Amino acid sequence: MKLPGFPTTLAPPGLRRLGLADIAVLCLLGGVIATVISFAREFEAPFSQAVRIDLSPAALPRYTLYSLSRGVFALMISYLFALGFGWTAAKSRAAERLLLPLLDILQSIPVLGFLPGLVLGLMSLFPTRNVGLELAAILMIFTAQAWNLALSFYNSLKGLPDPLRDACKVAGWPPRRTFWQLEVPAAAQGLVWNGMLSMAGGWFFLMVNEAFRLGDRDYRLPGIGSYMSVALDQGNVPAMALAVLAMVVMIVCVDQVLWRPLVVWVEKFRLDDTAGAPAPSSWVLEFLRRARLPRRAAVLQRRAYRSARRAARSIEAPFKSVGPVILRGPLIAFERAIARKLGAGLAVAAIAAAAVAGAWRLWLLITQLGLADWGQLLVAALLTFARVMSAVLLSTIWTVPAGVIIGRSPRLARALQPVIQVVASFPAPMLFPIVILLFERIGVGLGLGAVALMVLSGQWYILFNVISAVANIPEQLKEATTLFRLPWLARWRSLYLPAAFPALVTGWVTAAGGAWNGSIVAEYIEAGGTLRQTQGLGSLISEATAHANFPLLAGGIALMSLIVVGWNRMVWRPLLQWAQNRFSLET
Amino acid sequence: MTNTVLLEAQHVSQRFKLPNGQNLEALRDVSLAVSEHEVVALVGPSGCGKSTLLRLFAGLARPADGTVLYRGRRLDGVLGAAAMVFQSFALLPWLTVTENVAMGLEARGVFGPARRDAVARAVNLVGLDGFEQAYPKELSGGMKQRVGFARALAVAPEILLMDEPFGALDPLTAENLRSQVVDLWRDPAAGVNTLVIVTHSVEEAVFLAGRIVVFGSNPGHVREELVNSLPYPRIERSPDFEQMVDRLHAILTATLLPEAAPAAPQRLVPFPRVHVSEATGLLDHLLTRPDGKGPVFELAEDLGVDYDRMSAVVRAAEQLGWVTTPGEIVQLTQGGREVMAMDDAARKDASRARLAKQPLFARLVAMLKENEGSVEDEEVLADLTIYFPFIPAESLFATLIEWGRYAELLDHNAGAGRISLLGWESTAEMRTE
Repeated sequence: MKLPGFPTTLAPPGLRRLGLADIAVLCLLGGVIATVISFAREFEAPFSQAVRIDLSPAALPRYTLYSLSRGVFALMISYLFALGFGWTAAKSRAAERLLLPLLDILQSIPVLGFLPGLVLGLMSLFPTRNVGLELAAILMIFTAQAWNLALSFYNSLKGLPDPLRDACKVAGWPPRRTFWQLEVPAAAQGLVWNGMLSMAGGWFFLMVNEAFRLGDRDYRLPGIGSYMSVALDQGNVPAMALAVLAMVVMIVCVDQVLWRPLVVWVEKFRLDDTAGAPAPSSWVLEFLRRARLPRRAAVLQRRAYRSARRAARSIEAPFKSVGPVILRGPLIAFERAIARKLGAGLAVAAIAAAAVAGAWRLWLLITQLGLADWGQLLVAALLTFARVMSAVLLSTIWTVPAGVIIGRSPRLARALQPVIQVVASFPAPMLFPIVILLFERIGVGLGLGAVALMVLSGQWYILFNVISAVANIPEQLKEATTLFRLPWLARWRSLYLPAAFPALVTGWVTAAGGAWNGSIVAEYIEAGGTLRQTQGLGSLISEATAHANFPLLAGGIALMSLIVVGWNRMVWRPLLQWAQNRFSLET
Repeated sequence: MTNTVLLEAQHVSQRFKLPNGQNLEALRDVSLAVSEHEVVALVGPSGCGKSTLLRLFAGLARPADGTVLYRGRRLDGVLGAAAMVFQSFALLPWLTVTENVAMGLEARGVFGPARRDAVARAVNLVGLDGFEQAYPKELSGGMKQRVGFARALAVAPEILLMDEPFGALDPLTAENLRSQVVDLWRDPAAGVNTLVIVTHSVEEAVFLAGRIVVFGSNPGHVREELVNSLPYPRIERSPDFEQMVDRLHAILTATLLPEAAPAAPQRLVPFPRVHVSEATGLLDHLLTRPDGKGPVFELAEDLGVDYDRMSAVVRAAEQLGWVTTPGEIVQLTQGGREVMAMDDAARKDASRARLAKQPLFARLVAMLKENEGSVEDEEVLADLTIYFPFIPAESLFATLIEWGRYAELLDHNAGAGRISLLGWESTAEMRTE
């Protein structure tokens, strides 16, 4: 059976073979890193007074609302981006070849490294107000939300049955109508499920995004993250507890008021008739459906839209007559094969030039690093790599048995699903300082403690994947193992573990990504006024940020991106392919 | 008939690229004209490109070579004068019956009350009254296809294109809808007077069409055309009808089970993509019949498979020497009887001996022997792609493996991606001794 609460695929990254496009994309990204960082250097933003954060409980609801609106705003941008990106990649084969590797890389590199450049750049654009800082925070949340949404939309466009497309074409629907009435509805389920995951992912760096130090400057935005960070600085335990509580309340409210109703509503847009799963329910949607007011509002809105259309018609007319003329020129031109080839050639040349320029900028920045710096970077990378792998291993050790037990019992899964969802959405870095303080009590240093923190940031992906894989094992297979009286160990070895393995690998990919990202905040922690750090790539990046050491920052981020992307391609991808081939439940 | 030609395909070819890079030719040099007031049925084995031709007529795809004309003018984009009915219904699940039926109206400039009238008329024509506000998932398959027809009729199309419209329905519902289509066509109020239907069923073609076009496959081409001038409404059990069905059967058999070319015995023939159990199942069934024989269409009906599949099974059994096919009759051979009398091990030995002589297997075995008994899958796949450009290599490969394994002739290691000859090591060892 299928469980309503668990998405069957948790945004598995589209792992592909390393190709020319990847190299181009890597160079381009390197260029972006370098450009953003040098941008930050050139524009020494005027020091603006840091916002004072009020630690009284009464201020907390306001701060929570601020943080929430940033998250929602970023999510809306992410949706717009996903629709545009997914559509372009699905419609144009040339775009597909560049955009897919780009997506794959973007979702696996530590975007946090872009923060300093982004903040300084935007601050210099809006020097007098906090707009720049706000935009930077929203953009950072966006970078944690957008990629899996785009991938989900792309996949659903590619998986759309041909007859449906044909039916729309035969009906004479223009592309825009097909987009809104066929392509978007068909993707709605994936977009909502992934939106949920994205929202949770967006909270991850909440604290850093809202309270951020660069050199001797302190950038702060009013929000729950900065509240927590100030509470930590002052060692104010009640305030910390309140911040955690507020975060939990916010996550639960968003889940109940936004996501549950959406999940129930998008059931309507299922393409397959097979409704094996119990339909999910939502009290909010029930309430809205029962209420008269929304229906009235819908009627009014429709009327308003119609009269607006009527009013707009006279204005539209000249555009309508001019539009095709403007559009037709390039269209006719592009109908010729030579023009098409020329256009494609120009595009390729432009991209190649940008890639070369980007690589050159990055090179200039990185060559400022001495041999000693490189040695330091490599040692740090090795240490962090070891921590990431141990974190993945540790997470596996507890999540696999737990996931199998939960996934085996639909009742347990249904009961625990909301709890796990809230816990998983909670931004782990908010807990880091608290966990580290506890560790110090029992005498564990940050060197080892950082591993535990990375477990915190990656484990849920594995748990979710194992639960959903086990829950989707056909009932007959389970019954067969019962009938043949397999002892429990044999049952696990012959059924549950192999069936969960492909999902486990998918979980590993995401968990390792989360751990790498987490290392930036896990290896370098400020709590109670003191700074703790341990050697590692993450702490090196954080330190370089704090001391405004831009070459080291660029080198660190480039190295981390390279390791993550390389490992994805060389290790995870072949493993995933093998696992899916060998342990697929489809015969 | 001197009616105007509505649709015409002139020397049309169409090619597709498979995901594995293989280029598949679906149609080669097909010419066909459809006139006003005609009902044309396109029949033939699967993969003969009949649905591809329908999509070309609808303007959903452009031919790789040749042209499609509508009223003598080259078709550019989707043909507005046509509507289409799909095998899988292709209804949007999130729209109600009314909204689905109205899909094509706006693009044709029908708005407001006119739109409501058109929907109501179409809904009424197919007998969907009362279901206007239902969602497709609330409807049975037959009702869904009624929505499909209503959607097509709502735009009052000049030409109605149907791609196996009854293929996904149960026989009773299909029969009912089929006669309604004839009624619609004969009813001047419905406004549709030209039909093109792609179908798998011989009876369906004879029941509906005034002209039946038989396609051959690999690559798709027109084999023969048959004019069916039986008066409407046609009665399925009448002698004239049955005679027509038999004629079409005979043509199809000649298409599906061509008499073996006597000239080149070493020509590579693809092995039909059927399972071992299907071939033995056929023999089992033949054993229960008097004299161990029967016409291929009767066998298909008795065993509940379509004639296309049936003929593939028969061809496989024929290549193994288990049956012969004089005309449309399938006759169990002495060899076939012997095989069925054997126990499992002996049957495998006999199949192995037979398979080793089948040209394609013989070639594969020779290739394996040249390479010390084992080659990579990719090599075999490349070979198949070269020899049989019209057949998806992957599925042919899977069939070879299945039969090779069954006869204990070949083994396949999916993990290593290698195919190996069984018993090769032992013979190699013997030779060295």
